[in-house]
Amino acid sequence: MKPENPFVAVLALVAGLLFLSPVLYSIWMSFQTADAYYTGNIDFTFRNYEMAIGQYNFARYLVNSVIVSGLVTLIGLAVATCAAFAFARYTFAGSNLLFGAVVATLMIPSHITLIPNYLTLAKAGLLDTYAGLVLPAVSNGFAAFFLRQFIRGIPRALDEAAYMDGASPLKVLWRVIIPLSKPAILSMGLYIFISEWNNYIWPLVAIGREDLYTLQIGLARLYRVNPGEDIIDWPLVMAASTITILPVLVGFILVERHLIRGMMMGAVK
Amino acid sequence: MSAITLKDIRKSYAGGPQILHGVSMDIQHGEFIVIVGPSGCGKSTLLRLLAGLDPCEQGELLIDGKRANDLPPQDRDIGMIFQNYALYPHMTVLENIAFGLELRKVPKVERLKRARSVAETLQLTSYLDRKPGALSGGQRQRVAMGRAMARDCSTFLMDEPLSNLDNALRVAMRTEIKDLHRQLGATIIYVTHDQTEALSLADRVAVMKDGHLQQFDTPDMIYDQPVNRFVAGFLGSPAMNFVPSDCIDDWGGARDIDVGFRPEALSLNRSPVSGPSIAARVVLTEMTGATFIVHCESEAGRLSAVVARGEELPHEGDKIWLSLDPSQVLCFDAISGVRLDLPVVHHSQMPKTHVKETA
Repeated sequence: MKPENPFVAVLALVAGLLFLSPVLYSIWMSFQTADAYYTGNIDFTFRNYEMAIGQYNFARYLVNSVIVSGLVTLIGLAVATCAAFAFARYTFAGSNLLFGAVVATLMIPSHITLIPNYLTLAKAGLLDTYAGLVLPAVSNGFAAFFLRQFIRGIPRALDEAAYMDGASPLKVLWRVIIPLSKPAILSMGLYIFISEWNNYIWPLVAIGREDLYTLQIGLARLYRVNPGEDIIDWPLVMAASTITILPVLVGFILVERHLIRGMMMGAVK
Repeated sequence: MSAITLKDIRKSYAGGPQILHGVSMDIQHGEFIVIVGPSGCGKSTLLRLLAGLDPCEQGELLIDGKRANDLPPQDRDIGMIFQNYALYPHMTVLENIAFGLELRKVPKVERLKRARSVAETLQLTSYLDRKPGALSGGQRQRVAMGRAMARDCSTFLMDEPLSNLDNALRVAMRTEIKDLHRQLGATIIYVTHDQTEALSLADRVAVMKDGHLQQFDTPDMIYDQPVNRFVAGFLGSPAMNFVPSDCIDDWGGARDIDVGFRPEALSLNRSPVSGPSIAARVVLTEMTGATFIVHCESEAGRLSAVVARGEELPHEGDKIWLSLDPSQVLCFDAISGVRLDLPVVHHSQMPKTHVKETA
């Protein structure tokens, strides 16, 4: 969409650059040597990326973050979609109470559940494992609530038409509800993925093994292991930060196209 | 054996009023049944019970002689066409038509062949790759029919399938549905609140009111021999006139009853006539095409009469005398509304008396 008013266009451009400037500055800084950065010179280099990926093991952290965030997103969406379908379409004994309980979880700060979760996983022997990182995050009350509201907006006649065509409830969910909820599921997936990608506290608590660190833990660790005594190697930190934000940025650009596409046209008159 | 039998079907939703009060029907194979009634009379609820979309807890529903109260929709061999079409918006026309076959695990080649053949019957071949959003109302309606037809069901349920179409398309689609019924030979149960659709399509019409089945008979019988005042008034356009017998001059029949007569059974006279008649004043004339409807105000209330084009038409405000053909008069109990089989008093047998002037 192009704004018709040139003034609005210029304003949008300036606002966009303003919001983007910290990102652009950190990317620019990540290609400078530490010496050049601290002396105010310009010295283009890939060394920071080489160091982050090689010496500081960011390739491994990236893989870990992709695995953990990917699994949390996939399993979380599957659980939330099934729950949302049940809450949107079925009335059973205690359904409202159960839905109320799901919504009530949104009011509990995550820090309160930190210690109980830690103790539960410690008892189950799941600390220092991928499962320990993934399992506490897969039940997402907000996603269930959001998707339930979306599914309630899909005409029930479509479910009924599918039942008449011979579908089972699971087939209705898979072949009718999920394709029609694609924009909502994608946006919720993006939300879960970014939340998990940026999750710092839980991996910090649940993981002690360096080979299971996620990017956020690796990034925090970088401040402690930089070569200077009192000086932080900012170009190196910025290179690691760029590695951290880039996949999310690419993911968002890919998904965003689907988010804005309406799926409901022509469903019913 | 009947295709579908309903025995004393009752329905109420939790916390709500009773919607169906003991409906019983016996529907034969290949019959075209139209369920008609005003909004809220329970006709769509009855259709949903037949489809299996709502549980049928009270009464007995038999499909091909077997109890089907607890049978899920997919096992009833019934196809349904919804009022709002309910096409899957993310699928193409071809996918919409073939979806039912896919769910029944019909091999891909066969299901596509059958879907294409149905699309050809319904003249949808040029739209197979389009999604429902890119179709007109009539085309969507055809896709909805194709989806049910592809499955080759023995019974089709249609819930006001033409109500979203404009008048011209509705008339055209009505003919197509009638043709399709002839071709397919399937049982069709069609719900509508449009009495023209009911009378023109049905082999038998079921008239419903407030969850009660009023009459279940052929269109002729429903029109000519309605069982009560509601059925008589609901079917026919313009609606039947009802007048207390006391308001008819020279009425020679039973007293203290309501007399019903269709607008086409009235003759307009410029001066008092012998035989049963009502004095009235013309308030409005409406042209409907082949005929005019003359609306009059009388001592008994608003009456309407039909005058063919070419006949002399009274002007608004004119005083006229509406004479009744006694052979086309129906008598109803003034309180219960039930039709009474009273002897018809012929015009020639009526004593000639002076016609009373209305105020």
